[in-house]
Amino acid sequence: METKIGVFLCNCGEAIKNIDFDAAVKEIAKFPGVTCVNLSSDLCLEEGKKKMISCIREENLERVVVAACSPEFHEHAFGEVLEKAGLNGRLLSMANIREQCSWAHDGDVTGKAVELVKMAVNRVRLLQPMEMKELPVNNEVLVVGGGFSAINTALQLSRVGLRTTLLEKEAALGTGTEELESLCGFDTSSMVSAVEADKNIKVLTSARVMEVDGKIGDFSVRIRQEGGEILRKYGAIVLATGHQTELALDCELKLGLSIVSQEEFCRMLGNPSLETEPKTIGFIFDFCDENSRFPTLATLNNALAAKRRWGSEVYVFYKSVKVDSEGAEILYQEARDCGVVFLKSEVPPRIDVDNGQVKIKAKDVFLGEDIILVCDVLVAEELHLPTEETANLSSLLNIRRDSRGFCQEENVHLYPVASEKKGIFFVGGCRGDLDLGRVLTDISSVVMNVYELLSSGKILVEAEKVEADPQKCVACLTCIRVCPHGAIQLVRINGGKEVAGISDLACYACGICAAICPAKAINFQSYRDEEILAQIEAI
Amino acid sequence: MRIMNGHIVAFCCEHSAYPAADSAGRLGLHYPENVRVIRVPCAGRVDLIHILKAFENGAAAVLVMGCEDGACHHITGNTRAKERVKYSEILLKEVNIDGGRVRMFNLSPNAPHKFVRAVNEMTRITKESGR
Amino acid sequence: MENKNVLVVGSGISGIASALELANAGVSVYLLDKEAVVGGRSASFCCKATDICSRCSACVVLGKVKEAVTHPRIKLLTNSTMKKLSGELGNFRVEIEQQPRYVDEERCIACGLCTEVCPVDPKAIYPPFAEATPFSYILDKGRCLRFKGERCDLCRTSCPTKAIEFDLKPKEQELRVDAIIVATGFDVFDAREKGSLGYGRYTNVLTGLDLEHVFTRDGYLRLPTNGREPQNIAFIQCVGSRDKDHEYCSQVCCKYAMKLAGLIKYQNPDARVTIFYIDLQTAGKGFAQFYEEYKESIRFVRGVPVEILQTVSGELEVRFEDISQGKVCRDTFDLVVLSVGISPGKNTWDLARILGINLADNGFFDKKDSLSCNETNVDGIFLAGTCQGPKDIPDSIAHGIAAASKTMRVLAESASQRRGH
Repeated sequence: METKIGVFLCNCGEAIKNIDFDAAVKEIAKFPGVTCVNLSSDLCLEEGKKKMISCIREENLERVVVAACSPEFHEHAFGEVLEKAGLNGRLLSMANIREQCSWAHDGDVTGKAVELVKMAVNRVRLLQPMEMKELPVNNEVLVVGGGFSAINTALQLSRVGLRTTLLEKEAALGTGTEELESLCGFDTSSMVSAVEADKNIKVLTSARVMEVDGKIGDFSVRIRQEGGEILRKYGAIVLATGHQTELALDCELKLGLSIVSQEEFCRMLGNPSLETEPKTIGFIFDFCDENSRFPTLATLNNALAAKRRWGSEVYVFYKSVKVDSEGAEILYQEARDCGVVFLKSEVPPRIDVDNGQVKIKAKDVFLGEDIILVCDVLVAEELHLPTEETANLSSLLNIRRDSRGFCQEENVHLYPVASEKKGIFFVGGCRGDLDLGRVLTDISSVVMNVYELLSSGKILVEAEKVEADPQKCVACLTCIRVCPHGAIQLVRINGGKEVAGISDLACYACGICAAICPAKAINFQSYRDEEILAQIEAI
Repeated sequence: MRIMNGHIVAFCCEHSAYPAADSAGRLGLHYPENVRVIRVPCAGRVDLIHILKAFENGAAAVLVMGCEDGACHHITGNTRAKERVKYSEILLKEVNIDGGRVRMFNLSPNAPHKFVRAVNEMTRITKESGR
Repeated sequence: MENKNVLVVGSGISGIASALELANAGVSVYLLDKEAVVGGRSASFCCKATDICSRCSACVVLGKVKEAVTHPRIKLLTNSTMKKLSGELGNFRVEIEQQPRYVDEERCIACGLCTEVCPVDPKAIYPPFAEATPFSYILDKGRCLRFKGERCDLCRTSCPTKAIEFDLKPKEQELRVDAIIVATGFDVFDAREKGSLGYGRYTNVLTGLDLEHVFTRDGYLRLPTNGREPQNIAFIQCVGSRDKDHEYCSQVCCKYAMKLAGLIKYQNPDARVTIFYIDLQTAGKGFAQFYEEYKESIRFVRGVPVEILQTVSGELEVRFEDISQGKVCRDTFDLVVLSVGISPGKNTWDLARILGINLADNGFFDKKDSLSCNETNVDGIFLAGTCQGPKDIPDSIAHGIAAASKTMRVLAESASQRRGH
């Protein structure tokens, strides 16, 4: 028996003048399966929707085509109308006869409108109903890292009631936060104590991730610690694997007392028993790495501290100050008001070591002349780089990194903290450049995203929206390799056969797998091959 | 009702080209009437069989439209689509359908002018090839 | 989180980001905006892609607007402002005043018949910009004859859905909410305040925001005076930022100027583009790969111009101090774009007074302390987006999500406290 299809046309308040609706209705009534064709002037308004519901019920319609304005905002609303009339909301197809027909062309477009309806009718005939299902998820979170971002993420996750494991490769939490501490004024040891006292947080130190399997709501993580390996399950994973710095110096120049990193300089500042307070200090930043903010902020803070603590003469060599962080411009002015001298150059300064003293030579753009500075201590330029952990984990999780090797592909739809895989997030320096304000915001964003996914212990999904037919699947693994969201795995079905299993939780319904499957084994509800080809054939 | 100039099938990604086409309509930007848009969740959903079927069915040209390079909601969808379009050009040459009749265009949802430009470009190509 | 309500004041990208997170977590959200259209300023920003996406994030805004507008737990209240606030966290009472829209957005089907019959020119009733949501027609009281005392009923009688009504008064309602997120956005610096730069006097001097709208509306750049394609364009950075009255960097201008310059050059490879700057802000996710390219194709001049004069032939002569040459120079251009900065919104003072929240020295809403990013001095009122300080689109989204996160926490804490009793 032919599926009963109802077609509802809207002439948009009779404002659509370039479609001959009477003629269109006559043509459409001839399409196979179409049992009723209705013309309305206000289909999207309450009155129009009520009439549609009555018609669906009276005519016992099994599928509905709405030929009106764009489905972009209305498909969802008309789906609800179908549900109210007792039909599954997915048994609807829309023909865009307004924005993409009447409004887009001059002259009579009746022919095109009728054809668009035919395309929708052909498609709707094949559509299958879809049900929603609730799938359980594990609501424990794994945070990989042990620095400021990792610790604070864990603390905030705990406060919203989620159990978290902090996994740190070093023997203790809070390693490597000294610089951030002295610049931003927080206390690592009290944060670490808060973590240790928190019943919702488990800490694993001297631990490394060896393998990760599974998907959102059900990650299996193999962890190696001293003395053995354990297997744990988590609902979401947050990478907080930080960044590292490398001095941008020629290899002949050696670090010593006269050439230091920002972190070492912080230690000098905090050392009450420092032998000699440096009288002249030079800072260099923003030549080799023009894409980081932290060097500016570190320099400004340290320069001010040096001025205030030791009264030293401080000279800063730079190309552009990066002040696009909150409070940076004020800090920059403070530094200048305090007597820090800023020397702008176009090219990196030359550094020489002469009799234990450091000599910096640069051309100042304002003076137009070379400046030579002999200083006691040079805080050299640092490059901000991703860590090895970031590289390892990205590879284990099979997630992409950006052009500089930091976490997170440079795709605007992922910002701020998401990866291309549901349930995997990034926070802090592992994403790239950081300043305190942005890190704090990112931490809260991650917590919100994870909470949204896991807090109720279940996620509502469209059941079997994209499914591999076990009869046709030959387990060639193509879809598994190609899925950008890591939503497909090999699963064993009854009978022992291994086939592609697409997770309803992790799938984003893009259809890339359906297109690439050589056996055409993947059914993508609403966008199956038959449904697309049926539209083509209508033209 | 028969269409004179030979129709153009445009597979439009729901994140980019489809809303751009809507915006074009709202702005009152006109383009040739022989375009038939088929909405897909990602340009990467478009398969060879769809492109070939469109030509078999009489299309004068086929457009595959997805997000800008680097902005695909599904990361690699638009790249896959591009590769598939290239491969389809090779296959189509074997049946004497060539001259740039199948093309990939990248655009954003707020770029209605790009949509119109793409459609106009393909219409020009089909007219020049005399179909 | 059923039975919890949150008011989000402002439906720009940050407010929408907050609203979506809360709604997805089960909270009911009122999304308020004083405009007739949601999406805030960034909804009308243009795509700056060349051969590849330039990561400006303008398209992200449209996707999120669509999600918010179709979300079952988000209720839109456009044309609305806050008048009074009382109560506290868990029990705020907010008085909202909704200005008459005259065109009911729930009944307007954008058929265009009203515009056809409107007798004035320019039309007093017209569609919003193409990507606007809701896409309902707008009545301009300033142009409408009816509001000038004349009897004109043409649009109302022509409307097929009876969506137009004139005799309307502002509607008041009281909302009871558990928490409030303030996401009222920013205003751009009014470039007329720097009179010597000629904005408002010379037609071919535009702001960065004007340029965004030109591309959104037209898709390409033409000189406002004669419609020809400009060949020689200048961008001037830090207009209304990093000065006595704005002691902050607006964070967005260097990048938007470079991306717009890139777009101009992509459309017209022979065009010459110059950017006058003080310090180039090139940090941030995804920018490094573009910066190398920009260094090749754009002429960067250290030194900010102080004066622009129009020559007899209609070109714009820019006088600036070229720092690397150490002298004052002059250069002529077809078009000058002033990269205006982000300033606190005009009604920030009123809002601060109504809400009882503090303003920072720079005029934006103040955070509670340096380690909080969204909390204000009032429990239960949070800040999201540029109303707290300059941010680009990704940072605004992050800040909005963070505000939702903080809000969730206090809602969860107050719920568990009540259960404990």
